[in-house]
Amino acid sequence: MLGFIIQRFLQAVGVMAVMSVIVFCGVYAIGNPIDIVIPPEATQEIREEVIRRLGLDLPLYKQYFIFMGNLLQGDLGRSFIYNVPVLELIGGRMPATLELVLISVISATVLGVSLGIYAGYRPDSWISKAIMAISVLGFSVPSFWVGLILILFFAVKLGWLPAGGRGDTLEIWGVAWSFPTLNGLSHIVLPALNLALFKLAMMIRLARAGTREIMLTDTIKFARAAGLSEGTILRRHLLKLISIPIITVFGLELGSTLAFAVVTETIFSWPGVGKLIIDSIAVLDRPVMVAYLILVAFLFVTINFVIDLVFALIDPRVRAGAVK
Amino acid sequence: MRYQKFLAPLAFALGVTVAGVATAQTLTIGVRGGPESMDPHFSALGSHAEAAKHIFDTLVWSGDDLQIEPGLATSWTPVDDDTWEFKLREGVKFHDGSDFDAEDVKFSIERIPVVTGPTTTAIYVRRVESVDIIDPYTLHINTDGQAATLPNDFIRLFIVSSDAAANYSTLETSAEGFNSGVATVGTGPYKYISWEPKGDLVLKKNPDYWRGDGAWETVIRREIPNDSSRLAALKAGQVDLINYVSSVDYLALERDANIDAVKGDSVYIMNLQLDQREDTPLVRAIDGSDLAENPFRDLRVRQAVDYAIDRQTMVDIVLEGLGKPANQMMPAGFFGSSEDIPMPAYNPTKARELLADAGYPDGFEVDLYCTADRLPGDGAICQGLGQMLTQVGIKTNVNAISKTIYFPAQARLEYSMFLNGWGTLTGEASYTLGGLAHSNDPEVNLGAYNRIEYENDDVDMLLQTGATMMDEAERRATYEDAMERVMADKAYISVVQLQTVWGAKAGMFEFNPRLDEDTLAFSIRPAP
Repeated sequence: MLGFIIQRFLQAVGVMAVMSVIVFCGVYAIGNPIDIVIPPEATQEIREEVIRRLGLDLPLYKQYFIFMGNLLQGDLGRSFIYNVPVLELIGGRMPATLELVLISVISATVLGVSLGIYAGYRPDSWISKAIMAISVLGFSVPSFWVGLILILFFAVKLGWLPAGGRGDTLEIWGVAWSFPTLNGLSHIVLPALNLALFKLAMMIRLARAGTREIMLTDTIKFARAAGLSEGTILRRHLLKLISIPIITVFGLELGSTLAFAVVTETIFSWPGVGKLIIDSIAVLDRPVMVAYLILVAFLFVTINFVIDLVFALIDPRVRAGAVK
Repeated sequence: MRYQKFLAPLAFALGVTVAGVATAQTLTIGVRGGPESMDPHFSALGSHAEAAKHIFDTLVWSGDDLQIEPGLATSWTPVDDDTWEFKLREGVKFHDGSDFDAEDVKFSIERIPVVTGPTTTAIYVRRVESVDIIDPYTLHINTDGQAATLPNDFIRLFIVSSDAAANYSTLETSAEGFNSGVATVGTGPYKYISWEPKGDLVLKKNPDYWRGDGAWETVIRREIPNDSSRLAALKAGQVDLINYVSSVDYLALERDANIDAVKGDSVYIMNLQLDQREDTPLVRAIDGSDLAENPFRDLRVRQAVDYAIDRQTMVDIVLEGLGKPANQMMPAGFFGSSEDIPMPAYNPTKARELLADAGYPDGFEVDLYCTADRLPGDGAICQGLGQMLTQVGIKTNVNAISKTIYFPAQARLEYSMFLNGWGTLTGEASYTLGGLAHSNDPEVNLGAYNRIEYENDDVDMLLQTGATMMDEAERRATYEDAMERVMADKAYISVVQLQTVWGAKAGMFEFNPRLDEDTLAFSIRPAP
């Protein structure tokens, strides 16, 4: 097990190092951030002073090694644009993204798997058909459009829910969260729903396909022959057997939503990291971009690692494989 | 009614603001962009200065039409060729109750080059050599040579308190001191309460403001960059007023009884720029072969381009009425705008003739570049230009791209023909002509934005002498002359002046749109 962890850790370091080189070179190739942000009246001396101050006058490899040197000391640098440490900037916005994404992915999974199992268990009932029809909508309608329609309907027409922003927040351990306050919760509902729709549809399809397949296997026949109740069969046997693909997809979705919830965050003015990274790209704020993408790489590696551990917990076959 | 008595304390206990409880004393503005820091000296970005104007004052104020007016300085006069005397307003107090005097001005001016970020505010004090305090309300500012436009440079020079900001005046400490509010002490109409990057800026009225009483107890400036979301927030009643309504939404708002749409002229003019280098990269013959020379060096070709543009159609159809045809690089009435420049006519036949005269009877092919995400309608104007030019035989491939790609490539001189928005934010011509029309010469600090290598010796001479003329009438005539010559050369072809739209809850507010597009809470009043 320890060897497995060490191997994963080294992989993570490798991925992050490659990531930093790619981003560094990519941003360098687009051009000098100074050309975007400097005001037109700047004289040549002022311009050179700014370039020198940001360290952009050094050759690329030197800039890279300075950045990596600071990184190893735990310093991700300061944002060109906001003049505050990058970690502070990202850390200040992470809770907003975190609560939004967790609420939407978890509710989509719980609801989606339940509906999916039902649809797979009773494939011919009209409810199942309705569920499947709705899941097609979740797949095929683009999320930015759904977001705008949700705002138009629930915020502008009905006036039930706010159109955007984060609402009131409550500080827990020094971090501001929206979900504990009623007002904050009302702000989360629409963006969370917007984010959840696609995932809900996918979870329904995954759970239904798994259920239909497993229901025909000998496991279920023997369980029925042993006189177990249908409820017990679904909970104990079916759910466990269909859960491997679902957990894999859950993990990947969690990671990608955390990193790239940007469309929803933009439409609902949700002050999360997705919006931050898009704004940073627009002005080539390299410290923020590089730091963010390195963190994302780290996030994915971590999630995949946790998923592998969970597999081992629920599936004895995986555990046996790890021992070998 | 009965329930409200119980609900209010309950809501309070839960930390919930109940909609509707917010009084008429609060103004919530949905803005497209906000500040980058609470340090007013950190950035020269328009939206940064706009936010700073709520908390801090400037020595020289620029009015609704960018005319310069007294601010914290009551008067300014040149005492000799390289010294300006500024008289300061007496009796002005900072938000913490301390007095404003010459010490604060000197401190602010000297602080700028130290704490500024990449969107550098050093430009405001680039001509300043040193500052001498004569008495608490008189300053002498020594410049590097004759600086006729120094007062214009000072319209965004914010004055901070030399006491409150004393310990927060290095690049490392300024963000901490100002974002926390300790150093955010100004003389402006509003006091700072709180701000988070890309979030809400919350302000409270300064009851002792020297210009008089503001209309709002509390002002919240909420940053909502997405155009549709900002409008949705207004329609849902979450904000009272928004800036930058898109031209598509403007048409719909005209029919919406709940929302007032207020249209105002913008300082931004879209100029088509034609590369003047002998060898230009993105031009070729119709069959794809190389041309013998750069066609844009021929005046007849440039005139043909001008004749091919139907400015009225551009305004009416492409911009849905949100703009005005432009004949020069600055709005009418600015210092240095000429009244003698005619509005160019649309004449496609003439354009074809001129092209044939110049040796291009079959036309040629060119790639046109522009931004699609910087100014309202920039991408659409570009598409329109592409069609108009193609109709007279200049086959134009339109590339409307992100400003993130466009500006660095433009700075590397990679384009042959590009459409560029330029705002004369100082309200006078030395800023615009000095940046664009002088040949690029770092020696005299002129022409830094001349990305087409346009060169006219007469214009160069006029701009160099104009910059040192202390007599206003003489200087005005010089810049008008320069403007006429530049526009006649047609290397810069002004197409349209943009207009911007504000949206507000119907019948609730009164305000005058500003040319620089600032939305200032102090000048917004409740409708009587």
